[in-house]
Amino acid sequence: MVLKPIDRKETALYLGYGKHEPDEIILKMMDECEGPLMEAARPAYAFGVFDTIICSEERIALSECTLELTGKDIGKLLRNCGKAVLFAATLGSGVDALIRRLQVNDMPKALITDAMAGAAIEQICNDFQAELAVRFPGTVQTMRYSPGYGDLPLSLQKELLATLEAGKRIGLTVTDGSMLTPVKSVTAIIGLRDADSEEEALKLKDRMAAEDFTAELSVGNCGKEACQGCAFHDRCHKAEKEEA
Amino acid sequence: MSGNKIRILDGGMGTMLQSLGLPLGGVPEVWNITEPERIQSVHEAYLAAGSEIVYTNTFGANRYKMAATGYSVSELISAAVANAKKACSSHPGTKVALDIGPIGKMLAPLGDLAFEDAYDMFKEQVLAGSDADYIVIETMSDLYETKAALLAAKENSDKPVLVTMSFEANARTFTGTGIDCMALTLSGLGADAIGFNCSLGPAELAPMVRRLYELTELPLVLKPNAGLPDPVTNTYNIGPEEFADLVGELLPYGIAYVGGCCGTNPSYIAALKKRTEAFEASDERPELPAKVTFSGICSSTDAVWFTEPRVIGERINPTGKKRFQEALRNADMDYILSQALSQVSAGADILDVNVGCPGVDEKTMMVNVIRELQAVVSVPLQIDSNDPEVIEAALRAYNGRALVNSVNGEEKSLSAILPIVKRYGAAVVGLTLDEGGIPPMAEDRFKIAEKIVSRAEAVGIPRKDLQIDCLTLTAGAQQEAAAETVKALAKVRKELGTGAVLGVSNISFGLPNRELVNSTFLAMALQSGLTLPIMNPNSEAMMGTIRAYRLLANLDQHAVAFSEAYRDFVPAAAAKKPGAETVAAPVKDEAEGKIREELGDKAAELYAAVVSGLSERGANLTEELIAEKDPMQLVNGVLIPALDTVGAGYEKGRIFLPQLILSASVVQGAFARIKERLNKDGAEKVSKGTIVLATVKGDIHDIGKNIVKVLLENYGFTVIDLGKDVPVEAVVKAAKESGAPLVGLSALMTTTLGSMEETIRALKEAGLSCKTVVGGAVLTPEYAARIGADYYGADAKATVDIAKEVFHC
Repeated sequence: MVLKPIDRKETALYLGYGKHEPDEIILKMMDECEGPLMEAARPAYAFGVFDTIICSEERIALSECTLELTGKDIGKLLRNCGKAVLFAATLGSGVDALIRRLQVNDMPKALITDAMAGAAIEQICNDFQAELAVRFPGTVQTMRYSPGYGDLPLSLQKELLATLEAGKRIGLTVTDGSMLTPVKSVTAIIGLRDADSEEEALKLKDRMAAEDFTAELSVGNCGKEACQGCAFHDRCHKAEKEEA
Repeated sequence: MSGNKIRILDGGMGTMLQSLGLPLGGVPEVWNITEPERIQSVHEAYLAAGSEIVYTNTFGANRYKMAATGYSVSELISAAVANAKKACSSHPGTKVALDIGPIGKMLAPLGDLAFEDAYDMFKEQVLAGSDADYIVIETMSDLYETKAALLAAKENSDKPVLVTMSFEANARTFTGTGIDCMALTLSGLGADAIGFNCSLGPAELAPMVRRLYELTELPLVLKPNAGLPDPVTNTYNIGPEEFADLVGELLPYGIAYVGGCCGTNPSYIAALKKRTEAFEASDERPELPAKVTFSGICSSTDAVWFTEPRVIGERINPTGKKRFQEALRNADMDYILSQALSQVSAGADILDVNVGCPGVDEKTMMVNVIRELQAVVSVPLQIDSNDPEVIEAALRAYNGRALVNSVNGEEKSLSAILPIVKRYGAAVVGLTLDEGGIPPMAEDRFKIAEKIVSRAEAVGIPRKDLQIDCLTLTAGAQQEAAAETVKALAKVRKELGTGAVLGVSNISFGLPNRELVNSTFLAMALQSGLTLPIMNPNSEAMMGTIRAYRLLANLDQHAVAFSEAYRDFVPAAAAKKPGAETVAAPVKDEAEGKIREELGDKAAELYAAVVSGLSERGANLTEELIAEKDPMQLVNGVLIPALDTVGAGYEKGRIFLPQLILSASVVQGAFARIKERLNKDGAEKVSKGTIVLATVKGDIHDIGKNIVKVLLENYGFTVIDLGKDVPVEAVVKAAKESGAPLVGLSALMTTTLGSMEETIRALKEAGLSCKTVVGGAVLTPEYAARIGADYYGADAKATVDIAKEVFHC
């Protein structure tokens, strides 16, 4: 697996540019950072598809595994979903080492590489979801939901990785503070909702978008004061309002 | 090899247990106690199929993974060994191997598990499994963790230890270790057999097995998966017969232990057994590749073989360097790391590390520096110390196989240092001096070299691992000595078969045009067989000699490296002073006008260079300006106003974080030059005050803290950076010892805010009057107040403003 060219707009977003376009010096630096990042990255992912067993509105068990998902949000996410996909992806420890090295002798590039790595992992997730759509035709996917979002505990990481055998399969582990190592990694849960036909799937997709699923979750009503850095930053109405 | 009987190992455990009802995510080790019959039945099935050694069901039986099971490591492992022994009891001659897998956490610096803690966890497993006949360490991907496990096994048991690592299709592990580094490191550390298991099938592992055979004298272990898994169903694509055939092809390559991993079951082992017996009965053997005869050293990712001249960078050494001594005393890791990075980019293959300096605890410093260095550079290191304790601590902490600098012909050196070198499997430099000092004549130095070789061989260090240093004396003082050094070197290379190392630059001490003398002497030594010059790779003349030598000795074939290095070469006479760089366009604003009026056009351009983020121009202008102006005038009159301008733009949302940091790095470069100047003048270092920074315990995300550090330093503050994952006590200690009036703490995740609160409480309980400023993505001003912080730093710029307030500047 190799990285695709890295999305400059997404990178700029991570760097805090919002709608603004980075100037030429920064764009040129992005070009310079891309090669070493590609070279350092060993992107890999692991996933598992499980039948959901709804135990209650706030508790969902997965077939053939010991993992249980608890919380209002995950209950809402997986409501109507017959299957749940556990997913973990990483750029590998080489990227962490590259960013660490750049922090010693070139902080601006460290910052830009860090943001580009964020954009790269996002790309891997998007590509995976596209692959998932091909593997499971006639289903509609929910958004990616990660431990630490809303009321889904971050401490779920350890068990999620154990279920996927992510340590052995892709070298992904977690610290005592539930941080993923390598750092440039993502875990997520995606619900798969059955549609009777492709047509219905398309309709359902539109409807799910129109329902604006995220509005139902704890997002925007999280009690957090600082939106910057929140995992939901790009989806949350509250963040939009504050920035406006 | 045909004389050695190949031992048949077992196959996959996980898949067998899942078929017996173990759910995904379930803990297999618990079944050692709750379902002993089922575990025994798996062993029994493998023994019946022909396994001669079975692995205990203890792959994850470490303190970390077993924490939530309610059982102790010792209970689970004892039960597992008992189960395996019980199964073996009805199969005479079969043996039990204590299985040890990865802990499941990443070691520092990438993760939060300390090497010493990993060692303790493995030790606990080794002791609990003392009834087993073998120890196997398997499925390892981190060489450092593998080292911790192997040391724990060797130091707490006398059983044979088999070590297998898991490689990806690119012939590297997840953490980037290649087969060369694995072979060098594990052979040196005393593994009894090494090899591969898991991650790939026998077809993919075949080229790696052949390579490993060339690289080690040890017997090999092979336990591949049953091919490759289907990503959705997780079933493997190779059946027993095909598996046995593919593995069978590899048996001639020194394989002494063979079995299967994921996806294999007793039918694979039965097929393998048949195939192995057929191999042993037949006399047909393919032609095998030759084993490598040379030695080398490595980090976890890069191996350097002693086959041709390799440059050892000498700059990490405080001797005669005030700035370096100051960095050591202040534990200024960034300075040391930047010295390392600049040598590597100049072409150093290996870095010498010497941190001996009055007022510095050499042992602690050496371990810290090695760990920090290995987090940012991938070249192997040469550990440079005379103190056996320092050398041992360094070798223990080192990730890979190091070169030790040095042992010498003195009895006390030989008897103290050689056993340590042997224990950790390092290579070593032998200095040709002894109780009588440095003999003036080549013959006498050669005699000492001979003595070192025989003493090394007596403890089991082969001569290929020795690098003899015939010692460079100063030509200015003893002109005849240069020829003697070269003569001794040539004799050593020719007659002893060791490598040769030489610190080159000493030759010119006290002479004019030192580089000319150095590079000529270097050429003489290279021609006489020098393999490892210790030198300054930033010296263009000396690196040029190395490149030209490699070209002329036909080592750099087709002159690829030479042409690459001199592609844009311009003869010195034609080369102009640098002037082609971008000139900063004037930034027309009020501050600029004032600077131009008070300090002149050049200062105004420096201001513009900072605002526009032009590093090289900024550094050069600073260089020119410090010759004519008071350095502090530049700092307060130009650099800080420029940062203020950028900072104001950032606050207004006109410019963004990368530009702010870019400007900051221009100032950083300018500061470095000003500091050099101040050190030269012996002037008092001018600091606005000291601030302690740390990313709190449990948190490993520190880029935000590092950005704050850069900005604070640029505003003239002295920053004591404690790094990431910093224990509460370390913050208190640093705050107390430095008397810093401000302590900055960062945390990225909600899970580590608790340590932040704890740290603040501990600072208060220690009665320190320092203020605290906290920052991090999930923090809010309210939360900051609630955990007792004095200030909330919304971003790097805001933190600088807070520092200015605290320090009244």
